[in-house]
Amino acid sequence: MKKKKMIISQETMDVDFVRKVEALSGTSVRRCFQCGKCSAGCPMATFMEHPPNRVVRLLQLGQWQRILAGRSIWYCASCETCSTRCPNKVHLASIMDALRKLSWDAEGASKESYVQLANKLFLQNIRTYGRQYEMRLAAVFNVKSGQFLKDLMLGPKLLAKGKLKMFHSKNKNMSEIEKIFSRIEAMRKNGEAL
Amino acid sequence: MEKPLNYSYYPGCSLHASAGEYDLSTRELFKALNIQLTEIPDWFCCGATPAHNVDELLSLSLCAKNLELADQIEGDVAVACAACFSRLKTAQHVLGESAVKRKQVEKALDAPLKLDGNVKHLLEILAKDFGLERLAAAVNKPLTGLKVACYYGCLLTRPTDVPNLDCVEAPTIMEKVIEAVGATTVPWTHRMECCGANFTLSRPGVVIQLTGAVLDSAKAAGADCIMVGCPLCHGNLDIRQKEIEGVYNVQYGLPVFYLTQLVGLSVGLGSDKLGMDAMIVNPTPLLREKNLL
Amino acid sequence: MSRIGVFICHCGENISRTVDVERVAAEVGKMPGVSFSTDYKYMCSDPGQNLLKNAIQEQKLTHIVVAACSPRMHEKTFRKAVEAAGLNPYLCEMANIREHCSWVHENKEEATVKATEIVGMMVERVKKNRVLPTITVPVTKRSLVIGGGIAGIQAALDIADCGHEVVLVEREPSIGGHMAQLSETFPTLDCSQCIMTPKMVDVANHPKIKLYTYSEIELVEGYIGNFQVTIKKKARSVDEDRCTGCGVCMTKCPQKKIPNKFDQNIGMRTAIYVPFPQAVPNTPVIDRDNCTWYKTGKCGVCQKVCGPGAVDFEQQDQLVVEPVGAIVVATGFDLYTIDEKPKGSPIKGYGEFGHGKIPDVIDGMTFERLASASGPTGGKILRPSDGKEPKQIVFIQCIGSRAREKGISYCSKVCCMYTAKHTMLYHHKVHDGQAYVFFMDARTPGKSYDEFWRRSIEEEEAVYIRGMVSRLYQKGDKIVVMGSDIAVGVQVEIEADMVVLATAIQPQKGAELLAQKLGISYDKYNFYSEAHAKLRPVECATAGIYLAGACQGPKDIPETVSQASAAAAKVMTLFSKDQLEREPIVARVKESGCVGCFACKKVCAYGAVEEKEIRDRQGNLIKTVAFVNPGVCAGCGTCQATCPSKSVELDGYTDEQVIAMIEAL
Repeated sequence: MKKKKMIISQETMDVDFVRKVEALSGTSVRRCFQCGKCSAGCPMATFMEHPPNRVVRLLQLGQWQRILAGRSIWYCASCETCSTRCPNKVHLASIMDALRKLSWDAEGASKESYVQLANKLFLQNIRTYGRQYEMRLAAVFNVKSGQFLKDLMLGPKLLAKGKLKMFHSKNKNMSEIEKIFSRIEAMRKNGEAL
Repeated sequence: MEKPLNYSYYPGCSLHASAGEYDLSTRELFKALNIQLTEIPDWFCCGATPAHNVDELLSLSLCAKNLELADQIEGDVAVACAACFSRLKTAQHVLGESAVKRKQVEKALDAPLKLDGNVKHLLEILAKDFGLERLAAAVNKPLTGLKVACYYGCLLTRPTDVPNLDCVEAPTIMEKVIEAVGATTVPWTHRMECCGANFTLSRPGVVIQLTGAVLDSAKAAGADCIMVGCPLCHGNLDIRQKEIEGVYNVQYGLPVFYLTQLVGLSVGLGSDKLGMDAMIVNPTPLLREKNLL
Repeated sequence: MSRIGVFICHCGENISRTVDVERVAAEVGKMPGVSFSTDYKYMCSDPGQNLLKNAIQEQKLTHIVVAACSPRMHEKTFRKAVEAAGLNPYLCEMANIREHCSWVHENKEEATVKATEIVGMMVERVKKNRVLPTITVPVTKRSLVIGGGIAGIQAALDIADCGHEVVLVEREPSIGGHMAQLSETFPTLDCSQCIMTPKMVDVANHPKIKLYTYSEIELVEGYIGNFQVTIKKKARSVDEDRCTGCGVCMTKCPQKKIPNKFDQNIGMRTAIYVPFPQAVPNTPVIDRDNCTWYKTGKCGVCQKVCGPGAVDFEQQDQLVVEPVGAIVVATGFDLYTIDEKPKGSPIKGYGEFGHGKIPDVIDGMTFERLASASGPTGGKILRPSDGKEPKQIVFIQCIGSRAREKGISYCSKVCCMYTAKHTMLYHHKVHDGQAYVFFMDARTPGKSYDEFWRRSIEEEEAVYIRGMVSRLYQKGDKIVVMGSDIAVGVQVEIEADMVVLATAIQPQKGAELLAQKLGISYDKYNFYSEAHAKLRPVECATAGIYLAGACQGPKDIPETVSQASAAAAKVMTLFSKDQLEREPIVARVKESGCVGCFACKKVCAYGAVEEKEIRDRQGNLIKTVAFVNPGVCAGCGTCQATCPSKSVELDGYTDEQVIAMIEAL
């Protein structure tokens, strides 16, 4: 793949975006001095096109487009190893959270990932049922991702062991959860929250 | 007589489904130890990794809501799942540090926040509140000769200053608990490496690679079995073990126990009360060999 | 009636950029008592000072206010100028309109108003200033040097060579410090022992140096020119005068397996020992914790074999008092360890590197001992675990240093260079081996330093990997190094035979306790603080105490030696006069008001308050009052603030002066 030259100027370094990341993650991006310890210990680094330290580096340069266009942030396992070992207390796992959140509305962000679909279904389940409904989550995921046969062999075994519940009782206080979701949506609409 | 310990109990979604044996063994063990658990009525999902992954505000709000529900019941909050434990602790930490986020969550809940509940993982309750000496005294079938690889995974100790369960890089709490009931623990290299739980649904290939490395390490260290305190780790290590064996053409045959199953065994609970039959990798041969059944 | 002159400085543009200095001068000129007011670009320069001097004479000024920078910067300068023009220097005050005004404000209008007010306050204050006579104290021309490493040795030799007596105190049984432990030194690779031991011998033989080894500072009293230092000579259990240093006791001692600290605990020593063969003095010490005689009352072999009868099991710790006029502190450094730290410690260890429990993960100093010809392996690089020669060796820099997560954010300065040196020594000794270095930045400023580093790569074939290591773990007899190469953007894994950590430089253990005894200040890491980072780098803020070497901050050998000689020069400057002039900013007690509660005595950090009896003519005691010894008083004012009967006044900072300032606002 041909890599585009990075033109750096005050216009191309999106400082506002970086500030949003810092506000959401509660951590400083500038503190990173690129020692690479995060990438050294990341269990998922081999799956990423930008290893974790480079994600921070690109952020320091305000080049979020390069980060969000790729899949690195979606291959973060949220294991917190990077945050734990960072010599500068840069909470990289939180930065990853912030980047994924900001990718919702970001132009050119990677959309195709299975991880995103799984996340979406997971949150929908909470909204609908109050709790996770594992059986439904797996079934819907397979349908929506077009992998009808994925983990097919596991199903009967799990059912036999009582690990997959066919039915799921709803919480009695479901209206409260719906209110939380809708209040957050309203806050975002009014610009009261990122 | 000492006052019995009281907790509000947050089982989390997995314990009501794929990790039913964790729920069962927890309730039975705590009953046997005279520790009272009162399940939080109508608790919600904590949002787990998917929520904070893309929507921290939602994650914080769900956790704050659960802490509010837990507040109705006397006692600290007992949490079984490492992921739920991590989320609830993180919410307390983040909302304690950021006034902005606290305001937003208050608005989402439309209520003042009740965050002061002491959130404790079962390990903490057994090791610290109940105490290792009392635990040892409660044993009537010591797990002598059973070589256990204690698997912490990611979320029990990380990151620094948040769960504060034990040393973030070199914890010993699991080993202490299981050694107190007579088992032997093995030192091994991957007890804190990630199993890839986040990708169980979306990218099983990742799980096979990461969990495979964990199983490899436990086997190489000479363990008979693995002990976990997290239903997500359990899912990968137990349910996918066979598949991993197939992919790499190896034989592990490592039963994966919840800590409450093994401790329960040592205090004399029968395997029916510990949900041993729900385990995919059959533990019976191992337990027979060690005279524990 | 006072005739006050006010001089406003532009400080180049530092002040005039935000303060309208001409307007301040005009406003102040209208204040009552001010007879002359002007501004100038650089008041501290020669023409500026001449402006001041001429104005004093021409305008017959009686009091002076210089509105410029902080008095910490130039109060001395201007008071000297005032004195040269014939006024008492303490009739001159500075108004700080730089640090307190122009540097911290942006709005010129508001800053100008504030500057005028600051100057106005000082105008009111200076009206109340009194003529203060300079205090003189005698100087004891002997000096104390604390610490017998290269810094202390250099300072002691320089002072002694000028003919002044030196008392050199070392905590360990031998002088030599860390430098004696090193193998070869960068950037020239000369043998540390070869350049160090002759200096140690010079110290031992110098007629002007009195050496106390195995001794510690117990108490420091007094003040510049007149310190009384109590030294604790720990019991050696060997009579230094009788011992001939023949060493028979050590060969016969049955306790032979005690880890030797000098060899970083990889070599062994006996219970009666000298830390290394070239020790100065060559008198052994009995390590009472490990000696069979002290533990069981039996053995006594050393005593039996000692020809001159020097072994003395009954010897006690001894306290000695030495009067000195100046003190050089050269207590050096200690190395950070990756062990688990006690709960609540501001410093953390490296759990991700196994908390020091992997035997073949060693620190740089241990590598020095392995590489040293006089070390426990005779200069062979061998693994502590099994004595095998490591063929793949990994060096990791910045361990503890530049790691705010571990509680240390500074750079330890010497590790880049010594790691480069280590790769060379390794390459010289293990020809078929390969050295790898994980690093973030190579910091090699210094004469021939960068060339040295490049040589390690280009000629000695060390492989440098830019990136840090996340985790180390034992796998079989290998150590798995999980690193990354950020230039390539990939994870790097090396199965190493041995790992050497360049651990951070920390102050010596107990540094803060010694600082408290000396009354000198230290930073949050316990490194000692100099009086001024640039202009007084070897002096402490406490007069008469000087710093040399790594006790002040990480330093390499050349820097340490330079600073030690500089400290010695400062001591000699002090000793060049028989009498010492001191600022008369000292507390005075109004005896009529003093009720003798001695609250002042309790709070005085300098021990300056004494009890004085007042008697009538018949000699009957009327009362006991406080008396402030002007030679000792540091002018801090704590007694003044504490006195319940308001009977203590600090000259130069009287209540009258301070109230005048407040009222001017």
